Amino acid sequence: MRLLVLGAGPGGYVAALKAAQLGAEVTVVEDTEVGGTCLNRGCIPTKALVASAEAIHKARRLKDYGVDVSGEIMPNLSRIMERKDKVVSTQVKGIRSLFKSWGVNLIEGKGMLLTPEKVEVEKRDGSVEIVETDKIIIATGSRPAQIPIFPFDGEHILSSDDALDIKSIPKSLIIVGAGVIGCEFACIFRELGTEVTMVEMMPGAISTEDPEISRLLEKELKKKKIKLMTGVKVEKVEGRHDGIHVGLSGGKELLAEKLLVSIGRSLNTEGIGLEAVGIKKGARGEIVVNEKMETNIEGIYAIGDVTGGILLAHVASKEGVVAAYNACGIEKRIDYSVVPAAIFTSPEIASVGLRENEASEKGIDYVTGHFQFRALGKAHAMGEITGFVKVVAERGSDRLLGVHIIGPNASDLVHEAAVAIKAGLKVRDIADTIHAHPTLSEGLMEAAEDVHGEAIHVPKPKK
Amino acid sequence: MNFPDDLKYHKEHTWVRISGKKVTVGITDYAQDSLGDIVYIDLPEVDAEISKDSEFSEIESTKATSSVIAPVSGTVIEVNEDLEESPEIINEDPYGKGWIAVVELSDPSEIDDLLDSADYERYVEEEAK
Repeated sequence: MRLLVLGAGPGGYVAALKAAQLGAEVTVVEDTEVGGTCLNRGCIPTKALVASAEAIHKARRLKDYGVDVSGEIMPNLSRIMERKDKVVSTQVKGIRSLFKSWGVNLIEGKGMLLTPEKVEVEKRDGSVEIVETDKIIIATGSRPAQIPIFPFDGEHILSSDDALDIKSIPKSLIIVGAGVIGCEFACIFRELGTEVTMVEMMPGAISTEDPEISRLLEKELKKKKIKLMTGVKVEKVEGRHDGIHVGLSGGKELLAEKLLVSIGRSLNTEGIGLEAVGIKKGARGEIVVNEKMETNIEGIYAIGDVTGGILLAHVASKEGVVAAYNACGIEKRIDYSVVPAAIFTSPEIASVGLRENEASEKGIDYVTGHFQFRALGKAHAMGEITGFVKVVAERGSDRLLGVHIIGPNASDLVHEAAVAIKAGLKVRDIADTIHAHPTLSEGLMEAAEDVHGEAIHVPKPKK
Repeated sequence: MNFPDDLKYHKEHTWVRISGKKVTVGITDYAQDSLGDIVYIDLPEVDAEISKDSEFSEIESTKATSSVIAPVSGTVIEVNEDLEESPEIINEDPYGKGWIAVVELSDPSEIDDLLDSADYERYVEEEAK
């Protein structure tokens, strides 16, 4: 069976490798670089920058750890960017060598479906190749969404792509959109020394998260002197000699050297031949798929951001695996019941399962448990005491429904909960499991205990 | 523990020093001692309206995060900006350099609801039991 995968992001490259492992003859068409947004313009480069930001942060606090330094702590942007690029290129090479190892044929160029069996590829050198195939997986991903009245110029009005390649540290930056991407960049730039102002239409920062978590994040942003303006709209943007002027609803005007727009993602559905083969799209332009990742056209699958579902790399990868199995004749269905998500702000945020408000909206009789990291010896030893673990459970059955964490290493801590939810475990299963001391994982155990009012490291409730 | 008798106290462990229609507000020695090492205070904004018995600031210590409850209602006319960089001043001098805000009273009669130092001390002893 010949399979063509259009796009080599975290959905496409994983689908290609899985299909190759299952014995398919796989061709991948990619018009930029393997790894897609995630590896080249998203998850990985931002985390490389986060690591540099954290290093600066820690270096500035060395005195707190009993380390004396002489001289000034200064970010060196070109070295930070070099390091980031190295991290990315190492991963890119890794994917390329995996392709080689599994015999996946990579064609670098822009692909367009002509028929369900024929894909035209315009290669970088301008030549055109027609690839014949039995099945197709579309994994073309998404790109930063822009605001039509002030499109990206790469110089003063930046997308998240542009922000990853800045040549100098801006003195001041306005970020439109205090969602995940906006908040991550706010923390990075602030640590580099930029004056950051965030402007958000919604009433809070990352308002998709649990309100308690958003509230703590907002406080942490305030501590860093990141200015957050919520419930306001950008009405006007004007570039003048002294910088970018931003007019807000309510009449206020802001001025900064640069503007970063992080209001969401647009799906890459244009120019890839969807109309030619009659692939059905939904209201937002997304490719409509079923739980086997099949489109309405037999033999054509779609995965990842382009399907408009959950725009997360790890979801795209799992969808890629499911599509690969189905394309290879082994039936599999995607299961979205447990999708952990991580946000690399400072402190980190991670969540899995139901939020309290979702449990409430579903009419579930639920109970919550909380535990503050500052009650853990390990958190104090690390010098990272901010944050908490929140557990949502079904009353009566004691079934674990969701876990939401803000604090040190939240992105790693969440997976114990992910497994527990997937396995249908009770809160008591976590509470009764011995957790190593001293670790941050004790926070989840104590939050689970707190569901039953049995946490050890909390003061006696007031009368 | 020290409860100066020229101050008035609120049961949520805040104090006020009265000077006409303006009062200075802070947390008591008992409060700072219970909290332990203070690492951050989320100061109210100047011009913010605060109302008696409601949270107007938040204090973080190495042990806990705790609401600061307004002892009176009014408008914040000044905040102690030194606390931004050095919140530990509250531990060191809760009634002096560790003041939090100056508030212009909107209802001076609210002062009558506050405790004097002897009553507050008795209240704290009760609570500590």
